[in-house]
Amino acid sequence: MKPIRCYLGVIWQILRKDIQVEWRGRQGLPVMLVFALMIVFLFNFALQLSPDLQASLTAGLLWVSLAFASTLGINRSISLERETNALDGLLLAPVDRSAIFFGKTLGNFCFTSLVGLVLLPIFSLFYQQNLLRLALILVMLLGLGAYTSLGTLLSALSIQTRTRDVLLPVLLYPLALPILIAAVEASRGVLSGRALGEMSSWMYLLLAGVILFNAAGLIFYETILEE
Amino acid sequence: MATETESLSTRIEIRGLVKRYHHQPVLNQITLTLNDGDFCILVGDNGAGKTTLLRILAGLVQPTQGEIAVGGSSLAVNPNLRRIIGYVGHQPMLYQDLTAQENLRHYARLYQIQDTESAVTHSMAGLGLTLQQDQPVRTFSRGMQQRLSLARALLHNPSILLFDEPYTGLDQDAAIFLDHTLRGLHTPGRTILLAAHRPQRLLTMASHIAWLRNGCISQHILVKNLHEAPQLSRYLQEEA
Repeated sequence: MKPIRCYLGVIWQILRKDIQVEWRGRQGLPVMLVFALMIVFLFNFALQLSPDLQASLTAGLLWVSLAFASTLGINRSISLERETNALDGLLLAPVDRSAIFFGKTLGNFCFTSLVGLVLLPIFSLFYQQNLLRLALILVMLLGLGAYTSLGTLLSALSIQTRTRDVLLPVLLYPLALPILIAAVEASRGVLSGRALGEMSSWMYLLLAGVILFNAAGLIFYETILEE
Repeated sequence: MATETESLSTRIEIRGLVKRYHHQPVLNQITLTLNDGDFCILVGDNGAGKTTLLRILAGLVQPTQGEIAVGGSSLAVNPNLRRIIGYVGHQPMLYQDLTAQENLRHYARLYQIQDTESAVTHSMAGLGLTLQQDQPVRTFSRGMQQRLSLARALLHNPSILLFDEPYTGLDQDAAIFLDHTLRGLHTPGRTILLAAHRPQRLLTMASHIAWLRNGCISQHILVKNLHEAPQLSRYLQEEA
């Protein structure tokens, strides 16, 4: 029982540190939020869509905003560890390195979900649809769970290269495409009033993404971080 | 916390250590033994592989080949050995937005130190940081950051200490403070390996000196026997 408590303690400590750093620096969340809002405003004013078309595009636009904002957040999160080599400090500690992965993933997931929850009422306002639905929040959390775990894993890979700032999106977007498609389809279904059960295949794909990418982090994170 | 690692000897044995980056050998068949209580200065030109060797010993880099044993236990198969190793690198490994105290508290929790608060307070006091404990690290000078980095490395009372060019960028006062701290840290039962480009000031406190050249340890001798190694003496004079 004790090793599990220690393991969970490390995950919690890394999450707590990330929240503390964000609270002090306020450099990640505001940037993610402003970026996501810019996308909402720009698409709304630039496209001038009819209400019917707007309804069908809302899910796609929501996920474009979330994906771009998440990528910014994940990049910021790993840059924080690169600054003054704090990542080495984590690696020196006698802890299972997969716990570092889960701590970082959880931090990224919390920040991105917070941005998503702020975005939903704003989207509702601009796109004249009620997005504050439990089913949509569930889809969003599942989609972001898969996206942030994949992003956290790939950010550990990109941090070790000279092109680290551009490498993460280059790796992340193509690999996350199945997740993004599933998230858009499931969100579109929810917004068109279908029951979650009717979109079970998309929901299972999102769940599989969460499990697969977290399992990959559990197995490969240590190897990726070792030079 | 009483652990199996606490009773371990701090004897470090490096056998046939090789590290290659993109097929280029940086370390080539390093063999070196440091005994309990040794204070060894590692000298060598820039790019000789001092940092790589220290990072391998700290468990941050995996060797291509070879073995490292600490107290007879292999570093590769016993990650718990990280509990008895303290490492001070080029960078302070601190979060700039957090205060000094918050940084140490974070590391103390990662090392699962039972009385976190007392360990942090003791560590800060030991390095004269009590007055600055609530200041964000980004307001610290290089010397202060180095002190805090040292406090971080000493937090879990490690019996093996690895230093990578700790004097770099320090002013005279900070360097003198580091001298005093290193003298205090050199106790029986604690092994110190310190990489230095200009090691003259350390010769009075270290017990051994190792010369890393062309990826190998070309000499490893007692400091008091330095006169018997004219090549190394000449090298140290040139570097002075």
